[in-house]
Amino acid sequence: MADLISYVIRKLLLAIPVIFLATFIVFLMLYMTPGDPILAIAPPHASVDELQELREQYGFDQPFLIQYGKFLERLLQGDLGQSVSTGTLNVDVSYLLMQRLPKTLELMAIGLTISYSLGIPLGILSALNQNSWKDRSVMVFTLVAYAMPSFWLGILLLLLLSVQFHILPAEGTVGGLSSVLLPALTLGLGNAALTTRMMRSSMLEVVRQDFITQLRSRGLPEREVIFRHALKNAILPVVTVIGLDIGWFVAGAVIVETVFQWPGIGLLVINSISSHDFPTVQGCILLLAFFVVIGNLVADILYALVDPRVRLG
Amino acid sequence: MRFRKALNDRLLSWKMSGGAKQLVVEIVERGSKNNMVVVGTTIIVTIIALALLAPVLPMADPTMFVPEEKLQPPSTDHWFGTDELGRDVFSRVIWGSRVSLTVATLAIFFSLIIGVMLGLTAGYFGRYVDYIIAGTIDLFWTFPAFLLALAFAAALGPSLMNVILAISISYWAGFARLMRGQALSVRERLFVESSRALGARHPRIMFSHVLPNCIAPLIVWASIGVADAITIESSLSFLGVGTQPPTPSWGYMLFRGMTYLSEAPWISTFPGLVLLLTILGFNLLGDGLRDVLDPRMKGMRR
Repeated sequence: MADLISYVIRKLLLAIPVIFLATFIVFLMLYMTPGDPILAIAPPHASVDELQELREQYGFDQPFLIQYGKFLERLLQGDLGQSVSTGTLNVDVSYLLMQRLPKTLELMAIGLTISYSLGIPLGILSALNQNSWKDRSVMVFTLVAYAMPSFWLGILLLLLLSVQFHILPAEGTVGGLSSVLLPALTLGLGNAALTTRMMRSSMLEVVRQDFITQLRSRGLPEREVIFRHALKNAILPVVTVIGLDIGWFVAGAVIVETVFQWPGIGLLVINSISSHDFPTVQGCILLLAFFVVIGNLVADILYALVDPRVRLG
Repeated sequence: MRFRKALNDRLLSWKMSGGAKQLVVEIVERGSKNNMVVVGTTIIVTIIALALLAPVLPMADPTMFVPEEKLQPPSTDHWFGTDELGRDVFSRVIWGSRVSLTVATLAIFFSLIIGVMLGLTAGYFGRYVDYIIAGTIDLFWTFPAFLLALAFAAALGPSLMNVILAISISYWAGFARLMRGQALSVRERLFVESSRALGARHPRIMFSHVLPNCIAPLIVWASIGVADAITIESSLSFLGVGTQPPTPSWGYMLFRGMTYLSEAPWISTFPGLVLLLTILGFNLLGDGLRDVLDPRMKGMRR
């Protein structure tokens, strides 16, 4: 147990530079953006002296590193700045983020559920019928589903289910389970393909091991061998990487939310980019990066829980 | 994401041997027997040929508005139909492929250069050089390339050059990781030591002895990388931070087509289909080459 705790602490410390890099990139983003930020907030017809005064007041005359330091200082106090969009002028970015966060979490949670409840059974089916037509069709499905860009998949699903058959609502603002289904399916399908592939290869590896042969020779029903003994071992490597999926889902959420106008963080970042609301863009990207870091941490910890050798490395 | 990580780990543990000539022979000989490589190559060659031939093919001008022919369904005149401004969708898809392929290839080329230089330096010199570079590689490796590219593209502003730049900055870590790992193991080999004893300088050893030994995993990663770069480029264009109109690009065509989904679904379905095929082609080639070139599989019949 002690080695596990020290392992977790080590991983937590390693996450700090990653967060640091994210803040740096996000700060650089604003710094590199063409145009003088002071012109946006200065009153019209301001004189050169007045502009200089404002620049000093907001610290834009300071060297790059000092400005970055100030940015970090405000960040540590939880201050992400204020939005400069016309619709949400001067609203705290952190407030905007908190408002949108539940929507993105909902989408990701349901997407994750779909991808695992589709991927694991398909992977098992495919492994148990290796090289049969079932296996081959599942493999073709995974190849296509993996290559499919999520926005096109979203468009196709919209076309099929909402426009052609009117089964599900096209836009995600209505609420209820049926409106989240389409975006979540779009988000989850690519990942379902990966889960299927991992589950298949993991299962194939396990059923070739000696203890399975031994169980079979003892006369256990095949059903019991597979579902009680093989599955338990095969599913572990598939589930431990669930944390890494968060990175995939974060990137996917930006696109899927835009396709379905789902009011989460992803849609906020895209809308903010098009309205040049950089404080909000910064906040969104930081939050999404934070998700990725947490996901990686979860993956590392789960991995160490399952495989004690990792903790010592 | 995690599939890419697993693939990179697997490539990292390859123990390569043999020269560049042998590698080419192996790719051709064994690749021609592998279904994935054959199908992938066929798709890629077809799309590249169409893209290269676009100026001479008998097609409508992709930017010409023909208002009286707007929103026409697919027909013998317009194979993929026409869009809301009466432009020929087929011709726009073909011209769009030039943009996607150019952006993806250049972006992967640049990230290959960045990755190889940094990875080689880190792995070959080791010690504190390695410590700093390996740390940077890990940082970039942690983030999904799409998220990084989105941040950079948003900061730099939408243009073709910026998209290439954004993807290159976001994708190099995979190459660097492979290169560093291979360099770390190759530099301990006897032939490196002997050329050092013969008085070869560091750059010479790095580029004529260490690098050629790492080419196979880099090729596999580059093929997968082009598929990823095409996905990222089209996603950025779809979101409006990538390639800008009037340049025809797949992502933007899909975005425009969404408005006309119920009356003219062909505007967004056909570009998406070609996009999917292209990505699939590069993925198949990469996956197939991985199987073909994996040293652990040598001598096994497939």
